Amino acid sequence: MQIFWQSVGFGFVTASVLAISAVGLSLQFGITNYINFAYGDFMALGAFFTYVLNSEVFHLNIWIALVVGSLAMGVFAVLINHVIFSPFARRFKKTFYVLIVTFGLSLILLNLEYSIWGADVRFFQMPLAKVMHIGPLLLTRYQLIVMAIAVALMLGVHAMLKTTRLGKSMRAMADNTTLAMTSGIDTRAITTITWFLSGTLAGVSGTVLGITEGNLTPASGELFLFVIFAAVIVGGVGSIYGAMAGALLIGLATEISAAFINPAYKLDTAFVILICTLLLRPSGLFARPGKA
Amino acid sequence: MSGIWYYIFTLVFFLFDYFILAMGLNIQYGETGILNFAYIGFVAIGAYVTGAFSLPNSVGTGQQYILGLSLPFPLGLILGGLAACLFAVIVALISLRRLRTDYLAMVLISLSLVLYDVCNNYVPLFNGADGLYNVPEPFAGVLHLTTNSFIPFFAGVTGAIAVVMWLVMGRVTRSPLGRTLRAIRDDDVVAAALGKDVFRNQLKSMLIGSFYAGIGGGLIMEFSGSFNPTAWLPGETFVVFAVIIVGGVGNNIGMLMGSLVVETLLVHLPAFLPDIPGHPGLIEYFDAVIIGVLLMVMLWFRPQGIVPERLRRAATFGVRDDLGAEANLPPDELSALAPSPVVQPGTLQARSATNE
Repeated sequence: MQIFWQSVGFGFVTASVLAISAVGLSLQFGITNYINFAYGDFMALGAFFTYVLNSEVFHLNIWIALVVGSLAMGVFAVLINHVIFSPFARRFKKTFYVLIVTFGLSLILLNLEYSIWGADVRFFQMPLAKVMHIGPLLLTRYQLIVMAIAVALMLGVHAMLKTTRLGKSMRAMADNTTLAMTSGIDTRAITTITWFLSGTLAGVSGTVLGITEGNLTPASGELFLFVIFAAVIVGGVGSIYGAMAGALLIGLATEISAAFINPAYKLDTAFVILICTLLLRPSGLFARPGKA
Repeated sequence: MSGIWYYIFTLVFFLFDYFILAMGLNIQYGETGILNFAYIGFVAIGAYVTGAFSLPNSVGTGQQYILGLSLPFPLGLILGGLAACLFAVIVALISLRRLRTDYLAMVLISLSLVLYDVCNNYVPLFNGADGLYNVPEPFAGVLHLTTNSFIPFFAGVTGAIAVVMWLVMGRVTRSPLGRTLRAIRDDDVVAAALGKDVFRNQLKSMLIGSFYAGIGGGLIMEFSGSFNPTAWLPGETFVVFAVIIVGGVGNNIGMLMGSLVVETLLVHLPAFLPDIPGHPGLIEYFDAVIIGVLLMVMLWFRPQGIVPERLRRAATFGVRDDLGAEANLPPDELSALAPSPVVQPGTLQARSATNE
C-alpha cells in the first residue's frame, strides 16, 4: 500500500509536468492547426536556458532562472515561427510540408543542443529538499512547488481564455481563422502571442521535468514528447481542457503502473492508453467538432 | 585490399541500401501521402528478424534472442521483409482508418519511440541495448570470402537487389494501383467518390513500403553483422525523409540521387573524418544539423527535388500512360499558372498537376 500511495504522489507530479507541456502544445495547435514535432526539443532547450542561468553563468536561484529561461524560450519560439514555420505554412497549403519542417527542426535543435552541451547528464544547482508527509503521500518540497506551478498556470490559462479579450480572440481563431480575420481580429498578432505562450510553457515544463527527474540531457524532451502526444490525443486534440484531463489521466496511469510492472516500461503505459482511446473513442475524451 | 576500397564499398552499400529504403518510404509518403514517421521502426523490425532467423540458436552465444534458426541467406532477409509487413498490417488496422494526416504522424512517431523502448529494455527479444551481433555473413562459408572481400561482394549483391526492387517499384507506380495511390494522395475524397477504397489502397501502399523497409533493414544486418538500438533512433526516419525530398518525391530514380547526396555524401562520408580532439561526436551532430538545414532549403527553393516527379497522363485506351512531360515548377506555382493543364483529345488526366 505504501508503494501505491508513493506512486500516486509521483503520478500527480508527472501529471503536473504533462499538463503544462500538453496545454502549451494544444494552444499552439488550436491556433495554427499543425502539430509542432519539435516541441520536445523546445522543452529541452528551455531547460538548458534555465540551466545556463542557474549553473553555468549567473548562478541564479533555480526559480528565478526558471522564469527568465522560460521567457527566453518564448521569445525563441516567436523567432522560429517568424523565420521558419510561418513562411512554410503560408506557402504550402498541405500540412505535410510544415510537419516535415517541424520534424526537421527537432533534429536540428537536438543536435545543436548536443554540440553545445554534450551528451553528459546535467543537474540543476539546488539545495537538497526535505521530504514531507501530506496525508498518505510522500513528496519533496520541489515536487510540491512544481504541482503548485502547474495548478497556477492551468488557472491562469483558464482565466485568460475565458475572461480576457486575447483569450476570446484565441478561441475565435481556433474555431475558424477566416471568420476571426474578417471579424477584425489581428490573426498575425494572436499567432505571435500564441507562439510566445507555447514556447514559455515548453520552457517551464522542460525545466520542471528536469527538476522532478533530477537530471537533464538534450534528449529528455524528445523522449517525453510521445507521452505529451498521448495526453493530448486522449484528451481530444485541440481542446485545452481535454489536454489537462488527459495529462492527469496519463500522469497517474504511468506512475501507478510502475508499481506493478517493470518501471522501465512505465511510459509505454501511456501508449497502451493511447491505442485503447483510438480504438474506442478516436476523437478523445473532450472532442472538438471538426478537428479529428 | 587497401583500406580506401573498404570505405568506398561501404559507401556503395549504403547508397544502394538507402535507395531501397527511400523507395519504400516514397510509395507511402510520395505516392500515397501517408506521413510515416515510424519508418525506421519497420527498418529495425526487418533487421532484427533477419538477424534472429540467420543466427544459430541463442544458447551459448552470450546473446539472448528469439528464433535462432540458422536459415541461409535470402530466407532470413525475406522473412525480415514479411515481418515488417505483418507489423504494418497491425499498425494500419489500428490507426490508418481512423486518423487524419497529422494525428497519424503523432501516433506513428509515438509508436516508433515505444518500439525503441521495448527493444532496448526487453532483453530476451533481441538482446536489449547490446543488440544482435556476430550475424553470419551470407555466402562467406560457401565462397570462402574474407572480411575484406566480403564487403565489395555484398555491396554488389545489394546493388543487384536494389535494381530488381527498382524495376518492381517502377511497375507498381505505373500500374493502375500506382495511379489510384496518387489520386488518394492528391485528394482522398475525390478518390473515394470515384469508387476507390481509400483504406484498402493505403493498406497496400503501407505493405509494399514496409516490405522495402524490412529488406533494407535486413541488408544492413547482413552487411555489418550487428544491429543495436543506437542505429535506429526515431530521428533516423528523418534521414530517409531527407533522401526522398532531396531526390524528388514521387520519382524512383530521384531516390538514387537523394541517397547519393544525403546518405553517402552527408551521412557516411563525414563518418570517416577524424574526430575533433576534445569534442567527441561533434562532426556527427553538425552533420545532422546540415541535413536538417539542407532539407528546409530544398523544400523552400526546389520542393520538387533534384529529379522532379513526372506529369503522368493516361490514354483512355491504355496505350501509353507516360508521355514524359515534366513538372518543372513547384506544385503550388504550377497550380497558379495553369489551373487546368491542357488535356489532349483522347487522353484522361491521371493526376492533377497540383499537389493540393
